[in-house]
Amino acid sequence: MEFIETLLNGLSIGSTYAIIALGYTMVYGIAKMLNFAHGDVIMVGGYMIFLTMANIGNPVLGLLIAVLFCVVLGVSIEKVAYKPLRGASPLAVLITAIGVSYLLQSTAQIIFGSAPKMVVVADLGNLTIGSLTVPYYMLITLGCSVVIMVALSLFVKYTKTGRAMIAVSEDKGAAQLMGINVNAIITITFAIGSGLAAFAGFFMLMKSPSLSNTLGAMPGIKAFTAAVIGGIGSIPGAMVGGILMGIVEAISLTIPAIAPYTDAIEFLVLIVILLVRPSGILGKVRREKV
Amino acid sequence: MANKLTKIKWKHYINYIAVAIVTIVFGSLAFAGALPSSALYLLEKIAISIILAVSLSMVVGFLGELSLGHAGFMCVGAYLGGKASALLEPMLRGVPAGKEIALVISLVIGGVVAALFGIIIGLPALRLKGDYLAIVTLAFGEIVRSVFMNTSTESFGGALGLSTPRYNKNFLFIIAFVLVLVCLAVTQNLIRSKHGRAITAIRDNEIAARATGINVTKYKLAVFTISSLFAGVAGVLYSYSNYNVQSAKFSYNYSIEILVMVVLGGMGSINGSIIAATLITYLDNTLQTVLTGDLAVLQDLLYALILIVIVIYNNAPALKNFRERFNLQALLKRKFDPNHQKDDEAKWDRVPTKIEMNEVLSVDVQPQMSTLDPDKKEGV
Amino acid sequence: MKSVFKKVLAVVLATVMLATFAACGGANSYTANNTEFVIGVSGPLTGAAAVYGVAVKNSAQMAIDEINEAGGLNGVKFKLEALDDVHDATKVAANYAAMLEGGMQVSLGTVTTAPGLEFTKLSVEDNVFFLTPSASGDKIPEFDNGFQMCFADGNQGKVAADYVNGLGLTEIGVFYKSDDPYSDGIYKQFKEALSSSIKVVETVFTGEASDFSTQINSLKDCKFIFMPIYYQPASVFMNQAKDIIAADAVYYGCDGFDGLAGQFEDFSVIPQEVSMLSHFDSNATDGAAADFVKKYTEKFGAETLNQFGASAYDCVYAIFNAMKAAIDAGETIDVTISASDLSEILKAQFTGDFTYSGVTGTDIKWQDNGYVEKGAVKYVLKNANGK
Repeated sequence: MEFIETLLNGLSIGSTYAIIALGYTMVYGIAKMLNFAHGDVIMVGGYMIFLTMANIGNPVLGLLIAVLFCVVLGVSIEKVAYKPLRGASPLAVLITAIGVSYLLQSTAQIIFGSAPKMVVVADLGNLTIGSLTVPYYMLITLGCSVVIMVALSLFVKYTKTGRAMIAVSEDKGAAQLMGINVNAIITITFAIGSGLAAFAGFFMLMKSPSLSNTLGAMPGIKAFTAAVIGGIGSIPGAMVGGILMGIVEAISLTIPAIAPYTDAIEFLVLIVILLVRPSGILGKVRREKV
Repeated sequence: MANKLTKIKWKHYINYIAVAIVTIVFGSLAFAGALPSSALYLLEKIAISIILAVSLSMVVGFLGELSLGHAGFMCVGAYLGGKASALLEPMLRGVPAGKEIALVISLVIGGVVAALFGIIIGLPALRLKGDYLAIVTLAFGEIVRSVFMNTSTESFGGALGLSTPRYNKNFLFIIAFVLVLVCLAVTQNLIRSKHGRAITAIRDNEIAARATGINVTKYKLAVFTISSLFAGVAGVLYSYSNYNVQSAKFSYNYSIEILVMVVLGGMGSINGSIIAATLITYLDNTLQTVLTGDLAVLQDLLYALILIVIVIYNNAPALKNFRERFNLQALLKRKFDPNHQKDDEAKWDRVPTKIEMNEVLSVDVQPQMSTLDPDKKEGV
Repeated sequence: MKSVFKKVLAVVLATVMLATFAACGGANSYTANNTEFVIGVSGPLTGAAAVYGVAVKNSAQMAIDEINEAGGLNGVKFKLEALDDVHDATKVAANYAAMLEGGMQVSLGTVTTAPGLEFTKLSVEDNVFFLTPSASGDKIPEFDNGFQMCFADGNQGKVAADYVNGLGLTEIGVFYKSDDPYSDGIYKQFKEALSSSIKVVETVFTGEASDFSTQINSLKDCKFIFMPIYYQPASVFMNQAKDIIAADAVYYGCDGFDGLAGQFEDFSVIPQEVSMLSHFDSNATDGAAADFVKKYTEKFGAETLNQFGASAYDCVYAIFNAMKAAIDAGETIDVTISASDLSEILKAQFTGDFTYSGVTGTDIKWQDNGYVEKGAVKYVLKNANGK
């Protein structure tokens, strides 16, 4: 029973990682950049939920406002900080992304103060089946994540915009020649990624009600790791990687001898997987040509 | 004789001379007791940053591989070197120049062990490319940090950190700058040698380099090892410039800070790395000590804004014309030397980056969803 | 462009640096131009631990404002210099040097232990007296110039273990932060002093983790959980555990628990009993503590109210009172007194019969080794629901 509970817990941690990793992986696939500020968009989403909860008190409305705000924020970050650098070295974009990350964190501290906020999104209680105790928030997180992942896969596969996204990620130049508006596609990708970040913020606050300006930093890095484990650029890869990370984390935390090393163990898993499969679990091995 | 002097490529030596002048000027000021502690501490930090930036610049700027784990190697050096100095200090007490002997031994231990870690991590990791290598180095750094964090109090101090002897602050920065010179000598001589050309060839086109008979693995591993060695040396210096080595310092954030120095300095420019390291360390220190009390929250905000503006100004394709118009070098040249021609040989430390990072970093998305023939899409 | 531009920049920079360095030469004359007594403190004003540093900065400022309004020390006012160290030991040296060269005469040390270890050794070089409100590491008052207003970690661990040994339990749970010197320091001493017949279920967390569901699952059968951690993660733990850990369990913490109640809109959502061993309770309804709580909340709001601030408030007053006592005893304390001279005077006071009564205790005394001697009280922050 305890093992099943740990496993479910791992699944819910993992699905949050997966949602964040999706944002990383899509932006990477299409804009070929590591968006280090992605984790901080989660934090901004969290503060939006906090503001709505404090003023209106409706978590669903909070989520909605957070998603909208994060979409606008993500698109504006892209326009102001990343778009001028299109065509420049990806490392330059990486550095501005880091700059944006610092900027968001310190702005949040200036506006909301240094004390972490308690945001109790909803008090849902537990589901008890026999000796199995599962908090409802876990089920909600899992359910929502599955819906999001399926919806996103269908979107990418069957809509015109989704197929355009694949085209841009395959070959920007050719896509442009085929009449795809590459700039618009990149904007849409940022919008989707940032919206997903707001969802991740909501899941994280449901699980643990503490909100500070560093909320997204470590989950961001872990989700990035998850995206790489799954094969960066691959949407199903991000899901697999996220879930794997979550389960490893949950199991490692239950074993006292290795619990303090949990972060290290997650990274070790990454190294081992990359040594066996250098492009991640679902990433394709790339052929090189001169 | 005069002829010989003009033949020397002064550009090759300008940074040695600059560093030496800084060392001598500040060194003599320190001897005269005219430097306050704040200046001494800042100089130590600047020297450490320069060593870190120059050594990382070898991997990122010359080899063309992204490493996000430089702080991890530094961490190894800091802990091992710090432990060695903490053990040696009481043993060598009373021995003439005992402190200096301890310093040299711990520098060697810290550097060599970090270099060994460079090999251990480099051997398997260098099979990986681009962002995959970057994330593995990041993971390595975090693992090292976590392991030292959880050591026992007796071995490496655990959560409380390792307590290390601090070296006399009036002299430590001189030693640090001498090590900067050593680091520069090793790096620049390597880069300007035929091996250096091989390394930049790997960066510009790995397959072509391999085809010309360059042993890519050997060179990659060598660069990675030398870079880790100097990161370890910087770590030992760090342990000597602090009373405590605490693993929390060596998180991925610190690796990124070093990377920022390298990128701002310009890829493949050692002088750029030196200047950027100095500027950033100085800026950081100034923001920290000037913005006190309620203003402290503005530190990160200002730092972030400065970072974003500089990177966009330096790199944005749209600002190319603007940059060229206000190009200081071009302006000076137009004024003083209309027939100036670039000396190609003098440019070995500033090989222009021809690398298409897009190509190096890209990995296919969703092959099974692709309707394109995978063979066609790459043969542009 | 870049290389020449940068060279010019480098030269300019070097000149500026040289100028700034040379401008403030001459050791130990830093206090010569002081017109106020300068108290320095280095703490996390930004970053994850900022709430503690901000509390100290606010409270110390509040105490200084009060002292200044009341006329200062024989007409001489005080000034607070609070620098940010982001809870990073590497930043302490620069802060310390900047404060010293800015005329600091006496210090509150650092807010947290990790940077404090650096501060301890730096300050002994120049013989700067410091009385830290909250850096509770056992090694902080290692030298004769360092004193603590808070209980040292080791002592807290020992006292807590004695208390637990007396309860007659067979099994307890422990939840601590293994990478935090405070938590780790208390727990190590606690474990040593704990009776070997008590079985311990140990769980840990590290870093900025904010999800403890796994640890809670391991602890769910424990009836007594010892949590030597700060209130912020503790509140998260309790919120997550409220339906999983038995309602008749007891959460027991140290002074870090203070501030817990402020984290909840309604503390009674936590069904378990919460108590702590501390020197200050921010829910105090009478006495000096209540006055402080009222004043602080009016000025800065309840969000950053915690024992760090209360302790800092006491530190400023203790230093002020000690200076006044020294003057009464015939010492001369001039506004331009050097840090080292003031240090000798204050050391004599603090190791002598000087006592202080304030927000965090009455008749507070200091041992010669710098540890504080005052009563630790078990505060029941919240009874179990239904009691």
